[in-house]
Amino acid sequence: MSAFRRLPQGGRIDRAKPVSARFDGKGLPGFTGDTLASALLANDKLLIGRSFKYHRPRGLVAAGIEEPNALFTIGEGARTEPNVAATMAELTDGLVAKSQNAWPSPDFDLMAVNSLLSPLFQSGFYYKTFMGPSKGSWMFYEPFIRKAAGLGKATDLPDPDRYDMRFAFCDVLVIGSGPAGLAAALTAGRSGARVVLAEQDSDFGGSLLSGNDAEQEAWRVVCVDELNSLSNVEVFTRTTVQGLYDGNLAVLVENRSRLHPDASKGQPRMVLTQLRARTIVMATGAIERPLVFSNNDRPGVMLASALRSYANRFAVVPDKRAVIVTNNDTAYQSALDLAAAGVAVTVADHRTNVSADILARAGAKGIAIFPGSGIFDVEGSKGVKRVKLGGAHAVTIECDAVGMAGGWSPAVHLSSHGGIKPKYDEAVAGFVPGGFPVSHFGAGAIMGAFGLSAAIAEGANAGASAAAFAGFGKTRPVYAPEHATDRTYAILPSWSSPQDAKGKAFVDFQSDVTIKDVKIAHQEGYRSVEHLKRYTTLGMGTDQGKTSNINALALMAEYRGITIPEAGTTTFRPPYAPLTMGAIAGRTVGAHFRPVRRSPLNDWHVKNGATFIDAGLWKRAWYYAWAGHSPETAYVKEMELVRNGVGMADVSTLGKIDIQGPDSAEFLNRVYVNGFAKLPVGKVRYGVMLNDDGLVLDDGTTARISENQFYMTTTTAQAGEVMSWLEYLLQCHWTDLNVQVASLTDEWAGMAVSGPKAREALQLAFPDADLSDAALPYMGCRDISFDGVTLRLLRMSFSGELAYEVHVAADHAISLWEHILKAAAPTGIKPYGLEALASLRIEKGHVAGLELDHRNTLDDLGLGKMAGKDKDYVGKALRFREDCQRPERWSLVGLELMEPDKKLRGGAILFAATDEIKGHGRGYITSVTWSTELNKFIALGLFDGGLKHEGDEIIAAFPLKNEQARLKIVSPHFIDKEGARLHA
Amino acid sequence: MLERRSALASAKPYVSAALKIAERPGFTLTQFAGLDGDFENKLSAVIGTLPDKVARAQVNGERTIFRIGPAQFWIVGPETDDAASRLAGLCAVTPLSSSRVRIALEGAPARAVLARLMPVDFDAAVFTLGNAALTGLHHTPVTVHCTGADAFDIYAMRTFALDVWDAVTDAAREFAASR
Repeated sequence: MSAFRRLPQGGRIDRAKPVSARFDGKGLPGFTGDTLASALLANDKLLIGRSFKYHRPRGLVAAGIEEPNALFTIGEGARTEPNVAATMAELTDGLVAKSQNAWPSPDFDLMAVNSLLSPLFQSGFYYKTFMGPSKGSWMFYEPFIRKAAGLGKATDLPDPDRYDMRFAFCDVLVIGSGPAGLAAALTAGRSGARVVLAEQDSDFGGSLLSGNDAEQEAWRVVCVDELNSLSNVEVFTRTTVQGLYDGNLAVLVENRSRLHPDASKGQPRMVLTQLRARTIVMATGAIERPLVFSNNDRPGVMLASALRSYANRFAVVPDKRAVIVTNNDTAYQSALDLAAAGVAVTVADHRTNVSADILARAGAKGIAIFPGSGIFDVEGSKGVKRVKLGGAHAVTIECDAVGMAGGWSPAVHLSSHGGIKPKYDEAVAGFVPGGFPVSHFGAGAIMGAFGLSAAIAEGANAGASAAAFAGFGKTRPVYAPEHATDRTYAILPSWSSPQDAKGKAFVDFQSDVTIKDVKIAHQEGYRSVEHLKRYTTLGMGTDQGKTSNINALALMAEYRGITIPEAGTTTFRPPYAPLTMGAIAGRTVGAHFRPVRRSPLNDWHVKNGATFIDAGLWKRAWYYAWAGHSPETAYVKEMELVRNGVGMADVSTLGKIDIQGPDSAEFLNRVYVNGFAKLPVGKVRYGVMLNDDGLVLDDGTTARISENQFYMTTTTAQAGEVMSWLEYLLQCHWTDLNVQVASLTDEWAGMAVSGPKAREALQLAFPDADLSDAALPYMGCRDISFDGVTLRLLRMSFSGELAYEVHVAADHAISLWEHILKAAAPTGIKPYGLEALASLRIEKGHVAGLELDHRNTLDDLGLGKMAGKDKDYVGKALRFREDCQRPERWSLVGLELMEPDKKLRGGAILFAATDEIKGHGRGYITSVTWSTELNKFIALGLFDGGLKHEGDEIIAAFPLKNEQARLKIVSPHFIDKEGARLHA
Repeated sequence: MLERRSALASAKPYVSAALKIAERPGFTLTQFAGLDGDFENKLSAVIGTLPDKVARAQVNGERTIFRIGPAQFWIVGPETDDAASRLAGLCAVTPLSSSRVRIALEGAPARAVLARLMPVDFDAAVFTLGNAALTGLHHTPVTVHCTGADAFDIYAMRTFALDVWDAVTDAAREFAASR
């Protein structure tokens, strides 16, 4: 016996284009124009899934985006997408769908045993039961509970589809293409404004697509044709407006799955658009509500409007008889259309008075009406068999389907994304937008205007107003079809079933929340709808309570004895409907996830055996193949090269800033803690700058190029921050200083030539330049010309050896680097990488990014004496606050490993020798290296009281690896304390 | 002279019948910034008309001038340009020719491709010849300049250039010749 059947003609399906999909391993035939949902019904598949908690048999409830039950896993393998509403999935050839949350099948589901245990599973059961016996119990139970309940499962495989994103702009965005939306878009479009019309359905028309009136259809087609003809109008189907944000930013997601896009050709499956609209017209329509009665979740119990959609749009109807239960007039549209399609219809109307007009029209179609009646119970576990009416007419009716018409809830979601709460409208018996920003307009059912001509009039009006707001005054309105009438609504709100039957009466189908759960929440003292939601899970899930919210809060209000407006609604947040993560990620996946920054010397490093390491966004040469193939051994060889001969490192990543203007020296003098006012031309100085909170921001060097021009270098990590800081100070605090700054980080490449043979190497490379100690002393700087290009030589050292930095315009970097290596080959010069660079500086005791972490003071780093006593500088005042002067602050120390068979690790926690190894200790290791000079592991660290403990033996603990080692606190300057090498 | 090497030397070429995406090298980029109230007069005396707002670039002969901030201009000139030497001492002059890579897009799909990359209204009626925008592309700052009906230059930071190139050509993959 079948429950639903396909009509021999009619509908918006293209019978000339059959398509074949698969559902749970079996063929599912249908036609172009079908959705997965309509094809299932047409194939008489009523039972299509099991419920979330109780595993009760479930069928389709809706025909649109609000569908709570019919969620399927679409696709296979890497293309698996869970929780897709069958009502939103267009039937295409090759579509593969599987049911969820049922084993082995929805028809015979072993987990249905849960239903027998249902008295246990009421609200709060899990929270109360699985909290004990120990503190971590919930963590233990949770995976099992989630496995028993739940929705579909996503795949871990990489998604082979492509997702695109784009930015767009328009004057008027119209959301929804029902009668109001079409009228709004066309009226606005006729003004010449740039209009975007977004429709989530596969066609334009909204409720008109579910009708069967020829005149209305002709009106729809004319509107759509004209919209398509206007070059200033862009129309999108299958495009859901997922969120509205400040500044009229709308996020639209278009689904192009039906086109079977080829990712290798750059064709996206979905496109996310960030649309900035001058004005927005919301014509989002309304969603019909179910009624709450015993066993209202049986397969075949649907929204009355859904029965109408399936009949008129998809030509699928209940086989013989449908019972419609209603509390308002709009249900009779469904009843009349079903009757016209040859279905016997009975209406149970909660209202005792039904208008004579309706009685007459229904009577003419043979529709039986039982006023003052509702549904007492539904029989038939895997599909409706009969309903028992209660109230004035306690009769039992055999039927194939039940249509619920509980009234209409305007789709106010987007209108409240910006924070405006919806307001309750008694006449509508639902929430309408609580107001709009000046550039937003509403029209049609969202405003509670459920009639066709009213919706069109409101739409035209809103379209004209929106266009005018955007500066387009002149337009021609769109008029309703000649015979369009406004249906009556005449709702008598009814929130709970008139009599109690034994079966479960569901408020939220998807989350399996019954009227009893709402009662329990009330009894347990949950007074706010937000708490009701969280306690019962009502309104959660993929449908976010689109069909359940109003019924639930009305019931709660009833129990509490307050009005619905007093109860209020939960908060609507984006996204409006579920969307796949791929759409959010867009093209920023894989190598495009984040930008990669490359040194001007990058291509040379690649060609010459460098292994790279990520340093922030930078790809930096870590070590080179000439020195070995593992970082542990290669960097040691590279260090030895620098200590004994000469090496060259790429330091192009350092921040570089051009500072010009007559007040530049004064500016630097204020920025750095140490004096820069009297820095001679041709000299470089090490400097430290503080944030205004008195903590160290960064260190670096600045060279005086001329009287009014300086060349600053910063650490790699803080380059951007220092540049912003300098601009901020100049633009906001010291507008009296005549200084201009410009970033040179990308303009100049830098090469550090370091080691006892550094001068010899550079002399070979630049034979015409005088590089003697007298001509270019330690901390000297000079520009020279080489082969037609300006080079900047700065004699300064990070490694502690005789060293120079050679800076050159980045375009010439590789040529210069190759020239130096070639010309200085007799010195044995080779490149060294970041690991050696960072290790050499530890031996020298130079602080770097790991120590400059915005938590340390000058004194913590042993740099307090640098600060000028008689001058002012940023951070001076707060540097001396009490907390910054505590004697027990963690301060910089050098550390030597005392146990040669062990190793040190960065991040190890430091303890005094007598401490229990527990908790956060007294400090930690910031940087660690093998010292080629001392033949042992050494480190820099921060320790309670710092060098006051010099000579003490302490413990470094690394709990992750269960390691402990004994260390000695020493001076952080491990080599050449006198600086003889620097001045060589 | 030491050889110059582009940051896009190792970039994968983009081939399309409808859309040209290519590096446009061979330019001088210099930043000129004012150090006194008469700066713009001094600058225009040497350079000619200056753009009056950030959103419009001014083309004077072989030079394109961008207003990039208060009392700050970029001048993009031919590979050999005497603007910097003529203005030396009159304002802050900062050579930046190595710091940026110029990527040109030309063809009917160019606007659609740019719209996938930057939050700027690239509609043909809005972003017209001469329009310029200082904006962000793939999280990096760029300057975009409309140089023709469907022709654009993007000035991207050198150190991000290869990734910007990849982002641009990826956004344009739909229009690329089949591989």
